[in-house]
Amino acid sequence: MNLADKIVGNSVDLWRMVRAGRGVWTWSAFATVLALLSLLFIPLDGRAHADWLQFFGRFHPLLVHLPIGLIVLLPVLEVLGTRRPSLREAAGLVLEIALATCLVAIVFGVLLAYGGGESGTTVTRHMRGGILLAIGLMLCLAVRRTWLLGEHSRRYFILLAAVLLILTWTAHQGGSLTHGSDYLTRYMPAGMKGFFAPSAITSHPNSFFAKHIYPALDTKCVACHGTNKEQGGLRLDSYESLMAGGKDGIVIAPRNPGGSLLLQKVTLPPNDPHFMPAEGRTPLSLDEIARIRAWVLAGASPEASSVPGIVIAGEGEEAPLPVGDYNSLMGEIRQMQQSQGAKLVPVSAKPSDGLILRTTDIAASFDDAQLATFARFAPYIVEAELGRTAVTDASLETLAQFKNLRALHLEDTALTGRTLDKLSSLSQLTYLNLSETKVTGDSLGPLKRLPNLRHLYLFNTPAEPASADNGLRSTQ
Amino acid sequence: MKQQPLCSDCEDKITPMDLPIPSGLKEEWSKAESRRQFLGRSGKVLGWAALASLFGEASFDHRAFASGPGMPLGSGMNNLGLPHFAPKAKRAIYLFMSGAPPQVDLFDYKPNLAAQFNNDMPASVRGNQQLTGMTAGQARFPIAPAHWPFTQHGQTGTWISDLLPYTARMVDDLTFIKSTNTDAINHEPAIMLMNTGNMNAGKPCLGAWLAYGLGSMNDNLPTFVVLQTKTNPKENNQPVSSRLWSSGFLSSEFSGVGLRSVGDPVLYLEDPAGVSREIRRKMLNAVEEINRQTLAEVGDPETNSRIAQYEMAFRMQSSVPELTDLSKEPESTWELYGPEAKVPGTFAYNCLLGRRMAERGVRFTQIYKRGWDVHDNVVGNLPVLCQETDRGCYALVTDLKRRGLLDDTLVIWGGEFGRTVYSQGGLSQENYGRDHHPRCFTVWMAGAGVRPGVAYGETDEFSYNVVKDPVHVRDFNATILHCMGIDHNKFTYKFQGLDQKLTSPVPAFVVQGILA
Repeated sequence: MNLADKIVGNSVDLWRMVRAGRGVWTWSAFATVLALLSLLFIPLDGRAHADWLQFFGRFHPLLVHLPIGLIVLLPVLEVLGTRRPSLREAAGLVLEIALATCLVAIVFGVLLAYGGGESGTTVTRHMRGGILLAIGLMLCLAVRRTWLLGEHSRRYFILLAAVLLILTWTAHQGGSLTHGSDYLTRYMPAGMKGFFAPSAITSHPNSFFAKHIYPALDTKCVACHGTNKEQGGLRLDSYESLMAGGKDGIVIAPRNPGGSLLLQKVTLPPNDPHFMPAEGRTPLSLDEIARIRAWVLAGASPEASSVPGIVIAGEGEEAPLPVGDYNSLMGEIRQMQQSQGAKLVPVSAKPSDGLILRTTDIAASFDDAQLATFARFAPYIVEAELGRTAVTDASLETLAQFKNLRALHLEDTALTGRTLDKLSSLSQLTYLNLSETKVTGDSLGPLKRLPNLRHLYLFNTPAEPASADNGLRSTQ
Repeated sequence: MKQQPLCSDCEDKITPMDLPIPSGLKEEWSKAESRRQFLGRSGKVLGWAALASLFGEASFDHRAFASGPGMPLGSGMNNLGLPHFAPKAKRAIYLFMSGAPPQVDLFDYKPNLAAQFNNDMPASVRGNQQLTGMTAGQARFPIAPAHWPFTQHGQTGTWISDLLPYTARMVDDLTFIKSTNTDAINHEPAIMLMNTGNMNAGKPCLGAWLAYGLGSMNDNLPTFVVLQTKTNPKENNQPVSSRLWSSGFLSSEFSGVGLRSVGDPVLYLEDPAGVSREIRRKMLNAVEEINRQTLAEVGDPETNSRIAQYEMAFRMQSSVPELTDLSKEPESTWELYGPEAKVPGTFAYNCLLGRRMAERGVRFTQIYKRGWDVHDNVVGNLPVLCQETDRGCYALVTDLKRRGLLDDTLVIWGGEFGRTVYSQGGLSQENYGRDHHPRCFTVWMAGAGVRPGVAYGETDEFSYNVVKDPVHVRDFNATILHCMGIDHNKFTYKFQGLDQKLTSPVPAFVVQGILA
């Protein structure tokens, strides 16, 4: 007998059973199924309704765990019941309570969805799953009677397995509603992630939006503004829906961060009733806000791969390389700090931010030879304050090893600029101060090869008059 | 013998030893008594000792951070885990306009007021605002529009009073906050609140917090320097006092070091005739030895501060003359700051010193300019005040910018509150007055950490109430700390059982809208 015949056969049996009529019970079961199916016709259109609906509805997440626990308990009792008959007796009661609480939970769930103005595919799936589950439980109850009499023993267990599967699926939909659809996959090891949670962004996967804006929205906003829920008619799970805005109009106004509703809401004081993310969910970090703002200011493009003013550590070849952990050298660094002389100072409490070479105390006596002694710290030094020191052109050779250097102060030194080509290996350099040195306009050529150099200062040098039109000097 | 109750509060204290009981029993009693006493007392003693060591240790820990036995002098390194994140600004220069500049005459442009000259300001605008004794008795509150025209400047088209022609040139570099507001309506509490986050004296000021948290960048100069501008006797000069740059409950080595505006910047800085540098060093070594003994005996952390201050003074003997020697400044400096900058004690001179200290690694410089308390003579005093300060402000920001220092320096300009739109005293076409006003005032910032060309916050048409994006003094201070890499909520110091912070006790928020 194949599977289809089996299902048909079972259904016919069931129908006969109903026809045979167990009186009032059968008819009330029928009525319940009809009532459950009628729930499917309630329109979930995203409009909130009366407050009292929501008030009761919000007990749904509380109530819903009772039937879940009971249903999971059921197969355990049935299996153990083969040894101890009293447990089998208990299983019947558990099944009945599970069904009753399941029905209550469904009613409250519908109140929540309808009253709170929920909409979206996940809500609908969750509701259908719940209704299917209740029907499944009713069938279980019916089949179990015959099973106790020794008939259709397999049928009951197949049904029970189906109920468990429906439960898992429905519960997952519910969890996605509360915690976001990527709740389980977010911290999954990268290998598994590719399989379970392929990235939602398909076009321009290397754009600034895909790499920095989308992940922020995805983790902080999409739980309420996505496929699961569409609060305020707003979805933030794709570029198109982000730009389309919601009920209150557009949320991103390109080149106008101040006029972008999204930025306004996330930067309100956290105790403001309009602050987003609402209801105590994790707020956006300052970094994330800064990135969104810069991205909006730059035109909110879906394609641009970088945004002026935002440098993101550890991003490919262009961005500054993450500085390694210098903790193994910390003993030496501390010793240096406690004595007179040049010092290495952490940029911040985060070791990956690197170290600053600071010479202000002993600037006048700090020379090329002393700088050379810092070469072994080179990978960790991101800023060298060599202004007003006794270093000369020869130091540029040493500095060429400081591959992670982002800011270099050489103002008021004996530098002539003849060897500036040595610096061309400093691909991370964004700030170079050559004020009050002897550098000339002709010697600046090699600096044009520095890809990230944005702030070049040549105040009071022979090079200064030419600097205005060499295209290198920039304001902030 | 008469029986007496065996109790302690009867007239004649009796012990069991006096009782007519067998001597064996008495012996046992005395044993029991001593053991009980021993256990009881020693238990108590142990308890107290444990408690004392707990408290002692805790307070010592914090003291250790604050005053640093074993902490290298000014190494810029401590155990506080600061900065919390990579800072935009390494240092700050705060131009403090003591007395409260009138925002409505300088920055907060209200063109509609001209038509309302001498009209009464609606009472609904004033609301329940308590007034000072100087205007509370006035029969009416006539609107006094700004006496001087405003013009638009820069690419941002910012409106600035014609009283500030130099500031007008750099508006594109400035970040204005027009919605700053405070809790106090009188100078002393307001200026304390602005500087220390609290109206009452005894709390550390912003500069002291920064010195404590971030440390020095140059062992040879103080971490926090205060410069006074010579007062103009024709102006209404409110007193400023060392409370404003005090370190409060932090160790006194973090308080601001004032450089004098007249004569030697630091008194007795030069060694007397016949005392060589070596002799001075020997003397200081001996004093330090004595101080260390005192520290070992008494354990007062203030002794540590004293040792540090002697050493600092010794190093300042060579660093301060170098700092104040302006002979090597290029001609372009005088073109920018003006000839006034050659006169010690002027605002321009202090601004120039501010730039020189920024170059030399002073963490926080505060330049006080008094006299902004214009009250009933706005037309008489305001042009003088603007003329005294305008060029210095412009020169400082421009000089920092062209030398590449504005990339990691934050410049702050502001007073302790604003001034009223209605006239204090008589209003005529020639003159008017302006009283204290806490509900809104304008400050500006420039440089590292803030976005240039922004005007944040809005006031109503009378420049009386904030209508958009209010920034409380606490929010303002939180924002300054943020620019320096500090999360103001995490930067605390345990004192009097509280985790004290610059922005306590009411929650404060970093002004995100002005961050770069």
